[in-house]
Amino acid sequence: MTHDPVPERSAHTRRTVLKSTAVAAAGTVAAANLTSVAAAEPVRTVAGGGPVEITLSVNGQRRRVVVEPRVTLLDALRERLGLTGTKKGCDRGECGACTVLVDGERIKSCLTLAVMRQDTEITTVEGLARGERLHPVQAAFIRHDAFQCGGCTPGQIMSAVACIDEGHAGSEAEIREWMSGNLCRCAAYQNIVAAVADAAKEVRR
Amino acid sequence: MTGLVGRGVERVDGRAKVTGAARYAADNAVNGVLHGALVMSTVARGEITELDTSAALASPGVVAVYTHENMLPLTVPPDFPYPKRFIPLQDTRIHHNGQPVAYVVAETLEQAQEAATLVRVRYRVAPPTALLADALDEAFLPRDFRGRPNETVRGDAAAALERAEVRVEQEYTSPMQHHNPIEPHTTTAVWDGDSLTLYESAQGVVLTRMVVAQAFAKYVLEQDIRVVSPYLGGGFGAKGPTWSHTLLTAAAARLARGPVKLVLTRAQMYTMNGHRAEYRRGLRLGATRQGRLTAIVDTSTAQLTRTEESIYNTSNSTLHLYACPNVHVRQLGVRLDLPTSSYMRSPETTAHFGLETALDELSYEVGLDPVELRVRNHLPAGPPASKYLLECYRMGAKAFGWARRDPRPGVTRVGDEYVGWGMATETHTYNAIPSFAELTIDEAGRATLRVASQEIGTGTYTVLTQVVADGLGMPLDHVTTLLGDTAFPAAAISAGSSTMPSVVGPVSTAARNARDAVVAIAVADPRSPLHGVPAADVVAEHGQLFVRGDRRRRDSYRDVVRRHGQAVVVNGSGPNTPGHSFGAVFVEVRVRPRLGAVRVSRVVAAYDPGRVLNHRTAHGQVIGGVTWGIGFALMEHTVVDRNTARVVNPTLSTYLVPVCADTPSVESYFVDRPDPASKPALGARGFGETPGTGVPAAISNAIFHATGRRLRDVPFTQDKLL
Amino acid sequence: MRAFGYTVAESPADAVRIAAGTPNSAFVAGGTDLLNLMRDGAQSHDHLVDLNHLDLARIDMDATTLRIGALARMRQVAEHPEVRREFPVLSQALLASASPQVRVMAAIGGNLLQRTRCGYFRDAGSACNKRVPGSGCPAISGHNRGHAILGGSEHCIATHPSDLAVALTALDATVHLLGPDGGRAVPVADFHLLPGSTPQRETVLRQGELITRVDVPRTRAATRSRYLKLRDRASFEFAVVSVAAALRLDGRTVGDVRLAFGGVGTRPWRDTGVEAALRGRELTEAAVSAAGRVLVRDAVPRDGNGFKVELVQRALVSVLGELGGVR
Repeated sequence: MTHDPVPERSAHTRRTVLKSTAVAAAGTVAAANLTSVAAAEPVRTVAGGGPVEITLSVNGQRRRVVVEPRVTLLDALRERLGLTGTKKGCDRGECGACTVLVDGERIKSCLTLAVMRQDTEITTVEGLARGERLHPVQAAFIRHDAFQCGGCTPGQIMSAVACIDEGHAGSEAEIREWMSGNLCRCAAYQNIVAAVADAAKEVRR
Repeated sequence: MTGLVGRGVERVDGRAKVTGAARYAADNAVNGVLHGALVMSTVARGEITELDTSAALASPGVVAVYTHENMLPLTVPPDFPYPKRFIPLQDTRIHHNGQPVAYVVAETLEQAQEAATLVRVRYRVAPPTALLADALDEAFLPRDFRGRPNETVRGDAAAALERAEVRVEQEYTSPMQHHNPIEPHTTTAVWDGDSLTLYESAQGVVLTRMVVAQAFAKYVLEQDIRVVSPYLGGGFGAKGPTWSHTLLTAAAARLARGPVKLVLTRAQMYTMNGHRAEYRRGLRLGATRQGRLTAIVDTSTAQLTRTEESIYNTSNSTLHLYACPNVHVRQLGVRLDLPTSSYMRSPETTAHFGLETALDELSYEVGLDPVELRVRNHLPAGPPASKYLLECYRMGAKAFGWARRDPRPGVTRVGDEYVGWGMATETHTYNAIPSFAELTIDEAGRATLRVASQEIGTGTYTVLTQVVADGLGMPLDHVTTLLGDTAFPAAAISAGSSTMPSVVGPVSTAARNARDAVVAIAVADPRSPLHGVPAADVVAEHGQLFVRGDRRRRDSYRDVVRRHGQAVVVNGSGPNTPGHSFGAVFVEVRVRPRLGAVRVSRVVAAYDPGRVLNHRTAHGQVIGGVTWGIGFALMEHTVVDRNTARVVNPTLSTYLVPVCADTPSVESYFVDRPDPASKPALGARGFGETPGTGVPAAISNAIFHATGRRLRDVPFTQDKLL
Repeated sequence: MRAFGYTVAESPADAVRIAAGTPNSAFVAGGTDLLNLMRDGAQSHDHLVDLNHLDLARIDMDATTLRIGALARMRQVAEHPEVRREFPVLSQALLASASPQVRVMAAIGGNLLQRTRCGYFRDAGSACNKRVPGSGCPAISGHNRGHAILGGSEHCIATHPSDLAVALTALDATVHLLGPDGGRAVPVADFHLLPGSTPQRETVLRQGELITRVDVPRTRAATRSRYLKLRDRASFEFAVVSVAAALRLDGRTVGDVRLAFGGVGTRPWRDTGVEAALRGRELTEAAVSAAGRVLVRDAVPRDGNGFKVELVQRALVSVLGELGGVR
């Protein structure tokens, strides 16, 4: 009774996300040529703690970035790669505003180090839309007024994409529980629930 | 009119917010920016005796460490909206735990944060007083705050209470609470010679500029300061006043000769930017056996500090909501060694919680339905203002099914849960602040509104765009609204529910003026098909201008302005008057008394906010306010250590705010009739802070109905229900 | 957070070797608690050894034992079909923990090693015997609503925050360790230490020792098990009081019962006296209440947490009532 450590659902997750990021990358070929880099060997050891150049794969682009080992993925994205769509609300995993997808699974980017994510595919809120076409979750958030100030919204949306992909958007109660890792202080919760339920229907189609 | 105002149009800033494109204050890429980090005091009261920055200065990447010994001397701004009566790093005094004592500037964020842990501080310490309970005998009547007295007497409440047929006399208490917007407070200060730009998380860019100008009076003119805040990741009052981190960052950037960015840590947000003060409220109601109020004696005691005596959570509803001839309100305070309190969303909730719970207690004393009790004490508005509160009771009660309520406590069970229904009136004051707007119609026929108001999540971009589009007769997507920049005409702070009542009037006037200006150009221009038509006969719709009754004879904004050869720029202004909004909220709770567990299972609310400008954004304020009410009632509580006066739970895992699973879906209803008293704002009143004001009391009342247990001390956690 | 070096370990032995040979190093897997501890100044390290590339994430079950690799993530274990079927209490405890995002990140080994959420411990500006031995315990005379009523000392009354550890304690799990001197196995009930006069020592782990696996014996009681968690909000919150219970009934008689409690003890709390009070008796509310009184016989309530004495007994009645069909 041996089981693969990665649940089978993850394989599906990874596929859907790679599909969308591949399209996003194709839509920005010119930009990709400027910023993407050839695959470099991941850095496996850093003595001391000084800065080191690593490669992160973000939204389908390979980007070189210089970080100390102590730099979180969140601060690498925001302060070094200019991807400020991902928000810092608490910097300790307690609000969810920094949620991104790593290999299709949702994580809190303030609780992980950039150096630990060298071999992964990272998707941020900037990588969801395909050109002008919004991701169904983004469109549903606008349609259902699922945000007010917008401070938690990128995290809510990334969490919602994963929530649907995990199969946790089956009922209102299930969505409420599985979206509870993302605080919304404006408390647009009931509209978020409606948006996730609506987007889930569209994604499943 | 194309009739956009009043419709629930989607947010015009939606795409920017869901794609991550919206630039919040900390999202700006400023070349060569340095990073700031604060060192905070670990004692509450005393004096710095020794401060050693050598290890911090030797730490990699550190540019400077500023302390009271080398900080730029600043001038303490005289008054609100700078609530603190001191600026840190100007002397050795410690006024509260978690007060900045040093400001580190380094090349990277990580370097600044590490160096901040290396500053060594010694203090001479005096024992602090942290809790109201430890100093109640020192309560006093503070002097007037912002022109309002802390004692109000109407009639003879003491005598009326003495004579009253029925009395309710109880104490209601609420703890310190914190706003906790998701976006932390942040400032990026950029000096260019003697001019200063601040990328700021501010609910009021104009007032921020004023306070910074006061503090930097020796160094910069107000007109040379620009404050930019196009998006705000939540404020709830925390970013209304200007706080010391803004001043310190501007000073650090000046001394460091380079731009400096500071983002407060979540923990720092529990001592740096105000809070809802701890309160105790003694309420004494007198009434007839028929339930008519004859006396209210409302004596509250709030936490103050040793440096100021500001009362933010006023007893307005005691004074203004119900018909009661004899009222005595006293708002006392006690000086404690704590950070300065301030406004926090719906500040009147604090007092209103006591009043609406006491009324429920009175309803049981006199054997009246709680709605009927409130109807009997209804106070009509004085003209010209309207007040459709009775309609709110009717609408809300009907939608909720209130008529089916069995008034006896503790008799309704579903499974192992007891079901309780409670209600309360909702009300809040709104402000109206003189504001100005500028509208440009360009040669592409597009309109751009510029106003130094703010988008704090309430929908300012959307509603103002609706108002402009309607006023001009232009499609929504031909109008761009620009906010949050002191380069634009001055406008109200987005606080005190003041944005719509203050700003809609000037914007609407600007739109009307612009339309008139373009029509005037058209009818005077021989090249226009409208040449010679009386201006009053020209109608504007969908960006087109045509003659009433003859749609074939037409021109357009684009063509008129293009022929004119330059953009048309007009201004709008106009005052409005403050007032109150009203509503009624009905709540169902499910209680498992054995485990002390309470959940809110259903909420219905009906409101009279005057005219509703956008039903989506108005509903958004309702679900937000109701959820805040749930947090107030069931979980929110800042804990201060009694011995050290230090906040024990400065994190979002220990200061609990509601999560998605805590909230039921809320049904909202609106009377939606214009208030003649708010005519400049198209009949809309300020509304944002009304929803939720009654929710803590409604929950308390529902818990009583479910269990027979009367709770008067929020939050209602398990331990209080066992 | 001060600067630190970083090495990816290639094998468990490699990880142990690097850690043992690098002063002031620590392992990192999910990082979800470690990073906060380092930000809070509760821990600081010169070097982190990244375990995420080790082959320690498998979940296997045979006729007698469930084996959970230390790097299995909370989500994997919670959603594992055999865990859900054979050990409902494990899945429920995990799903009641943290947030969906953290459950994706956090590993089982790290979950056992997470440290208390006591506000004084997490605040470098406060005294705390656990963080700075000898500095004092402000919780005892200060805010202690969340603190322990069982297993405390005059030096520390902080609770252990893990829900999973409570469930594993009830199920008699064993923690497998690999150290510089080889491997050993420790019953999970002995893995965490009482604070006594050394609250800074929380587990039996030695420097450089790595959790490789957690074994859980299969029992009939485990298949009928439940986790009840009471907290101050509906989700994404630590326990005020929790109970992990596994029950085998022979008719109406308690054949086997395993109980552990969270939120009340300075470590995941197991008291075999409580189980003994129930085993072989008819499962009635009176019997459960009597067992609950055994649980709290040595409780030391403080100013703010006295309600837990009552609440944990009621929680026990509630969870055994649900499991055993007691009205």
